[in-house]
Amino acid sequence: MKAKAIFAAIIAVIITAGCAGQQAAPNPTDAPASQAPAAAVTEQPKAEAPPSEEPTAPDAKLSITWWGSQTRHDYTQTLLDLYSSNNPGISFEASPSGWDGYFDKLSTQAASGALPDIIQMDYLYLATYAKNNTLADLLPYADSGALSLGDVDENLYSSGFVDGKLSGLVLSSSVVTFPYNPAVLSEAGVSEPTVTWTWDDFIAICQQVKEKTGKYGLSSNPIDTNILNYYIRQSGSPLFAPDNKSLGYSDDSAFAGFAQLYKTLVDSGAAPTPDEWTQINALGKEASPVATGDAAFTTEWSNFGVIVAAVNPDIKLAVPPYSSSGNKALWIKPGMFFSVAQTSKLKDEAVKFIDWFINSEEANAIIMAERGVPVSSKIRSYLKTSLNKQQQDMFDYIDLITAHSTQAPPPDPQGISEVNKLLIDTIDQVLYGRITPDEAAKNFRSEADAILARNN
Amino acid sequence: MTAKGMPAPRIVSKSKGLPGSMLFHAVCLALGFLMVYPLLWLLASSMKNGSEIFTTALSLWPKTWAVFENYSSGWRGIGGVGFETFMLNSLIVSVVGTVLGVASSLMAAYAFTRIKFRLSGFWFACVMATLMIPGQVMVVPQYIIFRALGIINTLVSLAAPWMFGSAFFIFLIAQFFRGLPIELDEAAEMDGCGKISTLILIYLPLSAPAAATSCIFSFYWIWQDFFQPLIFINDPKKFTVPLALNLYTDPNSYSNYGGLFAMSVVSLLPVVLFFILFQKHLVEGIATTGLKG
Amino acid sequence: MKKSLRGYRNGLGYLMLAPWLAGFVLMYLLPMIASLFLSFTNFNMLSAPKFIGFDNYARMFGQDKSFWKALGVTFTYVFALVPARLAFALAVAMLLNSKRKGLALYRTFYYMPSILSGSIAVSIVWKQIFGSGGVLMTLLNQLGIHQKISMLGNPDTAVYSLALLGIWQFGSSMLIFLSAIKQIPASLHESAKIDGARAGSRFFKITLPMLTPTIFFNLILQIINAFRAFTESYVVTDGGPLDSTLFYVLYLYRRAFNYFDMGYSSAMAWVLVIIIALFTAVIFKTQNNWVYYESKGGIGHDS
Repeated sequence: MKAKAIFAAIIAVIITAGCAGQQAAPNPTDAPASQAPAAAVTEQPKAEAPPSEEPTAPDAKLSITWWGSQTRHDYTQTLLDLYSSNNPGISFEASPSGWDGYFDKLSTQAASGALPDIIQMDYLYLATYAKNNTLADLLPYADSGALSLGDVDENLYSSGFVDGKLSGLVLSSSVVTFPYNPAVLSEAGVSEPTVTWTWDDFIAICQQVKEKTGKYGLSSNPIDTNILNYYIRQSGSPLFAPDNKSLGYSDDSAFAGFAQLYKTLVDSGAAPTPDEWTQINALGKEASPVATGDAAFTTEWSNFGVIVAAVNPDIKLAVPPYSSSGNKALWIKPGMFFSVAQTSKLKDEAVKFIDWFINSEEANAIIMAERGVPVSSKIRSYLKTSLNKQQQDMFDYIDLITAHSTQAPPPDPQGISEVNKLLIDTIDQVLYGRITPDEAAKNFRSEADAILARNN
Repeated sequence: MTAKGMPAPRIVSKSKGLPGSMLFHAVCLALGFLMVYPLLWLLASSMKNGSEIFTTALSLWPKTWAVFENYSSGWRGIGGVGFETFMLNSLIVSVVGTVLGVASSLMAAYAFTRIKFRLSGFWFACVMATLMIPGQVMVVPQYIIFRALGIINTLVSLAAPWMFGSAFFIFLIAQFFRGLPIELDEAAEMDGCGKISTLILIYLPLSAPAAATSCIFSFYWIWQDFFQPLIFINDPKKFTVPLALNLYTDPNSYSNYGGLFAMSVVSLLPVVLFFILFQKHLVEGIATTGLKG
Repeated sequence: MKKSLRGYRNGLGYLMLAPWLAGFVLMYLLPMIASLFLSFTNFNMLSAPKFIGFDNYARMFGQDKSFWKALGVTFTYVFALVPARLAFALAVAMLLNSKRKGLALYRTFYYMPSILSGSIAVSIVWKQIFGSGGVLMTLLNQLGIHQKISMLGNPDTAVYSLALLGIWQFGSSMLIFLSAIKQIPASLHESAKIDGARAGSRFFKITLPMLTPTIFFNLILQIINAFRAFTESYVVTDGGPLDSTLFYVLYLYRRAFNYFDMGYSSAMAWVLVIIIALFTAVIFKTQNNWVYYESKGGIGHDS
């Protein structure tokens, strides 16, 4: 009997200790200290750090986490050391990570009320974390001037708003692009794409490349909803409804058209079958057929040229094709964010660091646009002279795209990973010949609606 | 006893005949090649130029050699923490986890097979149950408990899941003990040995093969574990090798594949050395020590 | 006298078991109970769990097609992999059970696949062999067997190529067999030889019966591991094509960490525990019929 009671008590403690971490109050900025999670009771003595509104204690230790590769880890550590020497008393508890597992760990920490102060956040999960009150609202800091957004395009930083709260500050921008290999195009005897080309032009070029050279016209299959989003926006509707509880377009022919596009290319051999695509995708971007000269186009982000520069320095970036409607549908996508944990006791210091990260020339001379095109226009022009050719192309591309863009869609809804997976499966079923594009459109709608309704 | 005139199958089954021996080695080597091919691939990739690794993925021979570049850029580690730190951390966790874990497992196995105590069947069912539940759903409660114990971001949190003994080894060693005659205990008892001295003086020496097998597996499993360190370790100075290997590449930015593959090769060396060191104990059991012989 | 002996045994038993018990309570029992509780909640890890009764289980059995798909894939994998891997491991262990030169080298070679389990090298090499345009496809085409789709790309065969990967990683089972074979007293074989028994009959009359405890162990562990398989699919196929290699634990992992559905994932975990426990219990029940122990008693026999 006694043992049972003890068990029950222990379980209760585990569950509440862990889960209290996210029970944030409705207005996150007014009293951070009072909302410290119950789990904080078990924390080490440093829990005595002052509430964020007071001046910083002489030895504040900011915890920060990010994902990336060796280059990014190296210079980020340099940055942190530099910041510490500029700001005596501030030190960092840095936790670099690879992309694999980064969000597994982050959600575990969130569940235990143990998020780091500063979190590198992806657009994919920004809304999910924000809607669950795990991220601090940075808007009051922007209003007070602690976070200076004067040089940042409003369209861009407003991508961080979730339910009216600035849940993360965007660090870089990137755009969907169709990188191409000029040598393959000239081998096939076709001219390079113009900025106003259409999907029909695109299909014709891809098929001609296949006929003349035997190489792929397009070397990729969909890997998430971004290209679909672009395609649907061309029909005049958003991919997701404003309340995120369902899809945002009503005409299934748009989706069917998207599926048909890939089916046409794959059936004629101008794009890889899913079987072949698995092989291509497994070898990473550096071995992308476009880079190695085995394909004309791929679908990518604007930093593609930078990534594959060592393999092929001559890759060019094309604006994605227009539809016959001629609607502008591109958008400048926030690359990655810095968010501050709601549970952080050092929000002021965290924001100060983020401000330095995006606005200071000193910091950006070290970052050298490795996280993508910087969001501050001042920093962009500061860096312009020191860029290499591929970075220059990337900067130019983003400038070019502004004329072809409209308002960015709001952050991806909760359940986006499952929708991404659903899209890949649905297109695969079309490409495997199991269902028609029309059936695919119907299946996608019913299942995506169910996922969105459950999650939002 | 010559091979002359004997039917072919007998020659193969005999170990002395020359054609049989050649056939045996041919088969073993062919099989061996299939087994080590990915290792050769890894070795070749670790010496290729970073951009060549995937573009010539099928080739086992580098076009341009980048041995020094790959191994030195990999060994440099990240953010000022060198790869030797990661190796040392892994070594500490693996050795401590293995030594304590196998010892705990030996004791538990001995209790389960040679001591009749209350609820032993129930506890053995619990041992088996720990094998069945996917770790992914236990990570959140584990994190909360480890945090309460103050062992997050310490190497203790990595050795902890192993050092109290693991179901696999308890079961493995128990099965081994059950293959030993019970007369051992009786004889030992007659000589005035208690249960504990029986375990130490009689079972421990005899269980060398099972213990060696357990040590080999344990060392490797702890060494290669990614999920535990991923979740529980924050500070790069305490990273283990698999966590570190995750730091060289990123799907959406410029990656150091050369360094990754070079350090993958380096990270296998201790595991292979450990195996070579322990594998001879696998096969030196009762048969060679001559019990009942 | 009898009572004090029992007390002594209990004390000694628990003393020996104490390290494991401590670890069990801290690292398994409490988290297991917590996960059981979470399986009755809607828990996205970012907000507090909400109790929803049996809803997760109802959704799993009633609506979730992927759950049933994953269950089917996993059963196929278990039945394709376990018998083949055990037979192969035993065969190679027998092959290596001789007194020749080079055995240590071969043992090392054969163990190598086991230490590459989750490596990107394995993933890439496996795709080079079984994937589109891979070695197998090229070979079959040269033999005149025209292949439109690779073994890994074909939803009907992809899971078997993962089973082959599992068989290839037979090294640990082989080591366990090998160490058990070496334990069989040479005297048994010698006296059988004197009685005129040939190698074949010695294998079935002596080696195999003496190996049954090890076969029993390997069988149970291999079944459990195959049901819990994750890495093979995660690294090589990521569940594809068309979910044909969606292992149960891969799906469970995705629900937990990609779809923020930890409550549901916990429910899936407990369904898996019950399935594995049933298999294990049945095999345990049969052991009296086919497993030969030198000493009776012990596990599963309370005093």
